[in-house]
Amino acid sequence: MAVYKRGYEGYQGQLTPEWSRFLVIARQAYRRVFDSKRMIAFLALSFVPVLVYAILIYLPHNAGALQIFNIRKLLSIDAGFFYHFINTQGFLAFVLTAFLGPGLISADLANNALPLYFCRPFSRTEYVLGKMSVLAILLSAITWIPGLLLFAFQSYLEGWTWFVQNMYIGSAIFVGSWIWIAVLSLLALAMSAWVKWKLAAGALIMASVFVTAGFGEAMSNMLHTDSGGLINILKDTDAVWFSLFRLDNSTGLSVESAVGMLVAVSGLCLYLLSRKIRAYEVERS
Amino acid sequence: MNAKLPWGLWWTQVLAIMRLEVKKNFARKRAIPVYLLAASPLALFVAHSIGFARGWNQCSGNEDLTMFARVFQVFVLRLAIFFSAVAVFMNLFRGEVLEKSLHYYFLAPVRREVLVVGKYLSALVVTCALFAVSTALSYLVLLSHLSQTQSRALAGPALAQLPAYLGVTVLACVGYGAVFLILGLLFRNPIFPTVGVLVWESILVFLPSILKKFSVIFYLESLCPVKAPFHGGGAMFAISADPTPAHLAVPGLLCLTAVVLVLASLYIRRMEIRYGTE
Amino acid sequence: MSPDNQIVFEDVSKFYGDVLGVNRVHLSIPPGITTLVGPNGSGKTTLMNLMTGLVRPTSGRVRILGMSPSEPERLFRVLGYCTQFDSFPKGLTGHDFLYTTLRLHGKGRAEAQQLTMKALERVSMTEAAGRRVASYSKGMRQRIKLAHAICHQPTVLVLDEPLNGLDPMARAEAIALFRALAGEGLHVIISSHILHEVDRISDQVVLLSNGYVVAEGQIQAVRGEMHQEHPLQILVRCTQPGLLAARLFAQDHVAEVKMHNDRQGLLVSTRDPDLFYELLNQMVLDGSVEVSSVAPADDDVHSVYEYLIGSEGGAA
Repeated sequence: MAVYKRGYEGYQGQLTPEWSRFLVIARQAYRRVFDSKRMIAFLALSFVPVLVYAILIYLPHNAGALQIFNIRKLLSIDAGFFYHFINTQGFLAFVLTAFLGPGLISADLANNALPLYFCRPFSRTEYVLGKMSVLAILLSAITWIPGLLLFAFQSYLEGWTWFVQNMYIGSAIFVGSWIWIAVLSLLALAMSAWVKWKLAAGALIMASVFVTAGFGEAMSNMLHTDSGGLINILKDTDAVWFSLFRLDNSTGLSVESAVGMLVAVSGLCLYLLSRKIRAYEVERS
Repeated sequence: MNAKLPWGLWWTQVLAIMRLEVKKNFARKRAIPVYLLAASPLALFVAHSIGFARGWNQCSGNEDLTMFARVFQVFVLRLAIFFSAVAVFMNLFRGEVLEKSLHYYFLAPVRREVLVVGKYLSALVVTCALFAVSTALSYLVLLSHLSQTQSRALAGPALAQLPAYLGVTVLACVGYGAVFLILGLLFRNPIFPTVGVLVWESILVFLPSILKKFSVIFYLESLCPVKAPFHGGGAMFAISADPTPAHLAVPGLLCLTAVVLVLASLYIRRMEIRYGTE
Repeated sequence: MSPDNQIVFEDVSKFYGDVLGVNRVHLSIPPGITTLVGPNGSGKTTLMNLMTGLVRPTSGRVRILGMSPSEPERLFRVLGYCTQFDSFPKGLTGHDFLYTTLRLHGKGRAEAQQLTMKALERVSMTEAAGRRVASYSKGMRQRIKLAHAICHQPTVLVLDEPLNGLDPMARAEAIALFRALAGEGLHVIISSHILHEVDRISDQVVLLSNGYVVAEGQIQAVRGEMHQEHPLQILVRCTQPGLLAARLFAQDHVAEVKMHNDRQGLLVSTRDPDLFYELLNQMVLDGSVEVSSVAPADDDVHSVYEYLIGSEGGAA
């Protein structure tokens, strides 16, 4: 009779839920992110405006401060105030994306790591979600989360009526931030996957915002049209934010066209990602 | 002593490096963004000409020349050449480290100074050629449609400004190239310094004239044949400064480049191959 | 031998921050095939990178045929290095890769072309030369790296794990190539984990462990210095093994004698092989035993490695 030795047994224990597995990528990435002192310094810096805005919210409710400066007249805490907050944090979110985003996929492509992911029960969608979550979580931490905290702070100080009357500001902070986070994350991942070159991807992310802005402006001036602004992602986002915060739209773009453009950009990024995120790469000889 | 230096060999090696770099970096899909950046001003002026020919937009000679100056200074210099230099020059060494291929250069009998010069020249020649051609064609397209307007008398004198624009284009590649070459060497992730340079050059208009001198764009704008005053938000806070005369601006930018190349050479001479730490 | 014909390390140390690469290395490597042997992280690649100037010593001095590694323009005319990095300049074919390298050496077009073809031929890559390196298999990439190291006809060849990824045929060809090059008077320095192949091709070995050189020289000489701590094992096939064993037990230098399973031979451990061979000769001459074979059982690289590094280095 043959003797069968079984030295190896498959894992019999409990598995984590499938839906949460993409977070493995985020956890791994954060370990590296928080190794960088510059990154931590930048994140800390990103909370300075939050503190400043918190003080600005508090001052009109402080009797002592009110006696010294007539701050209520100088500063009104309204939709415009929170729009400026999101604008400031949006710029910081962009810099953070330009710093972190380029290395997210390019490093995997350069080191042929994609087959290692996809030889496990891990889909391409989960991979992209995992990579996106790295940016989305960090960007959330400096945009809508502090934004909503400030909104809650202001509501606490002003009372229930103010909160009910201005609930749209809270939703504008949340939705507006997520639109910006989604566009930035997709853009960063697409550039990172497309050029496979961390530095070029960084330059491209910045160029895709600043150059399109410059090009759009030049186009509008030279061709005497407003449609130049459409290719300016910053202006498109601004148009959407103005609408969400119920402010006067000074961009000259309709909200529908701006949303359409942002959807088109996101779609293009998703298409690029679907082309590049594969377990194999064909090298033409 | 100079007679003993192998200039002929160094030149051959510089040419070999340039050939290899052009093949690696510019004859590939990854260079498409740089080509697009170079082609974009031309596309704008072609569209403008077509718009004029079809009667979609009106033109006046002076306005068009000022418009060219604005597009050139704001879009071509500050954005297109700036970002092309970021993508191309910053990657000359840092890109090779990331791709783990720099050691092949270090294993050749090439002085590292020659390597720095060869790589810098390869990027410079290509970016200069791309943007000089783009600027020249854009300007010629503008002048050709100017000659069909009532301002045709302006076309002739305006043509004389073309060499100045071309010179500024070349100097922009030289200056930004040097800045981003050294940033790419000194920083593992040069995105923060790049944003720093971008922000610095953007807020320069609000800074005192002494601070303006610590930038590339100030000298380039000083050399432009037509001045394009700042019209953006906060124009009332803009501080004007006397432009630097050409006889100072040109040697200044060239000196900056020379200093950067010397620093880069010193850095590269001491550089070790330790890809694992990247 | 003149130091101008040797690779010399004078008290060389290399630290990567707090991490030790190699420490206080003194070496003189003559022409022929020298193999660096040691477990992962023992300092083999660091030693090679120090030789080629890819890293600089923290202290000490390295001279390659009298030249400093900090003079690449002189050094790389005579030195070729096949590194462990499995990466190449992007977008180049195998032919372009070698041709451009030779142009960087300052060779003219015709000469560069001729040397490229010669190098491709030596590594049997002529047919694949027109394809992009990125499309090569691992073995082909290894061979094109070898071709890159030899294309300019160097006199010092440094090869970091050159047999990695090669199939048995290609391995045999590569070993034959190394032998031929060493026969032409080149310094061929190889690092390898494959001890039985190292044994076949090396003229001398350098054993490294944790950044220290633990032994160097011809393998038999190294083994000879270890006889007191690790007596040499000699396998003797003979008639009358019992008689031979009895005579051997009377000798001071004999540490152990084991009878072979088939009782047709002995495994002798001796601290003085010369005395043992003298005794064996006497017994053969006086006809007390008939010997059919005598062979040392543990004077190869593998045994030396096991004795000197084995437990701390783990399997190589």
